[in-house]
Amino acid sequence: MSFPDRDFDPVRVAEKALWVRRVVLEMAVAARSGHVTTAFSQTEILCTLYYGGLLHYRPDEPRWLDRDRFILSKGQGGIGLYPILADVGFFPLSDLANFAGPGSNLGVHAEWHVPGIEVVSGSLGHGLPLATGMALAARWSSQDHLVVCLTGDGELYEGSCWEALAVANHLELDNLVVIVDRNGQATLGYSDEIESPLDGPRHLDLEEKLEAFGLEVRACDGHVPERIATLLEDARRRVGRTGRPLAVVAKTEKGHGSAFLAGRRGWHYRVPSGEDLAAVRGDLGILTPGVGQFLDGVDDG
Amino acid sequence: MRDAFFEELLKIFRLDPNCVFVAADNGAPTLDTFARELPRQYVTVGIAEQEAVGLAAGMALEGWRPWVYAIAPFVTARVYEFAKLDICAMSLPVTLLGVGAGYSYDIMGPTHHTTEDLALMRSLPGMTVWSPADGRTAGALAKHVYRARTPAYIRFDRAGLPDLGGEVNLESGYRLHRPGPGPGCRCIVTTGVMTHLALQAFGGTDTVVEVLRLPISREVASLVNGFPEVVTLEEHLLPGGLGAAVLEALSDLGDWPTPAVLRLGADGYVFDLGGREEIWRRLGLGVADIKRRVTEWSQDEPGRPDERPL
Repeated sequence: MSFPDRDFDPVRVAEKALWVRRVVLEMAVAARSGHVTTAFSQTEILCTLYYGGLLHYRPDEPRWLDRDRFILSKGQGGIGLYPILADVGFFPLSDLANFAGPGSNLGVHAEWHVPGIEVVSGSLGHGLPLATGMALAARWSSQDHLVVCLTGDGELYEGSCWEALAVANHLELDNLVVIVDRNGQATLGYSDEIESPLDGPRHLDLEEKLEAFGLEVRACDGHVPERIATLLEDARRRVGRTGRPLAVVAKTEKGHGSAFLAGRRGWHYRVPSGEDLAAVRGDLGILTPGVGQFLDGVDDG
Repeated sequence: MRDAFFEELLKIFRLDPNCVFVAADNGAPTLDTFARELPRQYVTVGIAEQEAVGLAAGMALEGWRPWVYAIAPFVTARVYEFAKLDICAMSLPVTLLGVGAGYSYDIMGPTHHTTEDLALMRSLPGMTVWSPADGRTAGALAKHVYRARTPAYIRFDRAGLPDLGGEVNLESGYRLHRPGPGPGCRCIVTTGVMTHLALQAFGGTDTVVEVLRLPISREVASLVNGFPEVVTLEEHLLPGGLGAAVLEALSDLGDWPTPAVLRLGADGYVFDLGGREEIWRRLGLGVADIKRRVTEWSQDEPGRPDERPL
């Protein structure tokens, strides 16, 4: 299967993205927990991967041997991945209503007991090292699946990421795809513009750094599905030919999709309430509160 | 000791192509054979221990059986969270191999001393900690740990310690060194190199129980609990170490009264040079020191039969 597959439809992916944001907000409101702005930052990346035909997966067989391994290294983004996993069939959509609740297995951080989640995540700097091991195992086992790791520019402050990237280059792991959710924000601070003592350190020349670590680096607007899809189109064909891991730096905006939240400081782990919530709901076109209204299946347009 | 282990491990690697050796730029004579003979089972990541453990866990998730090798502090304290999350939280069969237990990197200072590893590693759920005192035990451990398929950490002494007698019980994780003249009142509980010192100091008078594995088995706890006086000896900081593990095991046994316990070990970082014996002297852990300290503490005459009050 090549990518984008014949079904790739940017309009459909965009519709899914809006649905994901709506569900994420209502899940977080119901649980009074969850990283809404992180989820909004990565929405188009995940929707492109899962609805756009890049990732090979079987919802009825989560540990299918030939599946592509997708590692959500920035595990706090779990809330944004669960709706997609449920929608494509890994588990019932109704599970989303009990996010982080008693008896739920959908935690604030994505953990491996959830069908479709590969590893325990939540502590930053682990996904890339794990991904190098999975990619090396695939290489040595003559398996041709991809290992795709989504990291964030905030996460790239962790030194272990760079240990892993050096090794990925050393071992010529061209079956490894690193996607950087480049939203320029960490938990509190901004990583590109220094406005206050909360900000920094700056990610000077991030793309050049990745290139210096031996990766083939491509960059795009991380909120435009067809742009992301274009950059990943040859990801599978590169395997065994280039000897270089692929990095896609997706320029994003934390909180994207809500004018109220987008790019604002202080919303990393804060669930909107009151007038703020009304504003975000307004941005997303949510007319009545509650997650249940979104769980009867997704309008595919 | 380390090479005795690697020689046995090499035999396992030849039989199981899913075994992979992850090296963080540390060598050993036998390892050259791994790299030369089994290039698809040997990977080096450079001086990057977090990556070594993460990569190993990633391979274990895919069904491989990784063994990660580095100097002991760097494959324990340095990578602690990777051991916690990538190995133990996912119950993966990754074995961490650390060379340089205790003060075996004597003149290299606290950076290379490993005096927290027992406390750190034994507190990780599912992690089995092994602490052999000679090559005979270390060699036997390879197959045992391979078959167990659980998270494990093995700490090797850097020094070439002579083989000790006695039956190695890997199932219950200990070796009993019987006293010369007859059963004494005191039980000396040791691990690693301190076993050798204990046998020199007390081998003729007291029972020496060498702990090979943490957590301490119920069998060892019951054995130790039968003595009125217990001395623990370790090249390790006292909080959380062997002595603490013994106290916990005795308490958990619930068979009162439990023995009086004297814990001997380290109480801080040591910068003293001149060799391992200098460090022992500094900490009061040399053969003469432990003899004196135990005699001062003990209420019992050595060699007296057990008159433990009920």
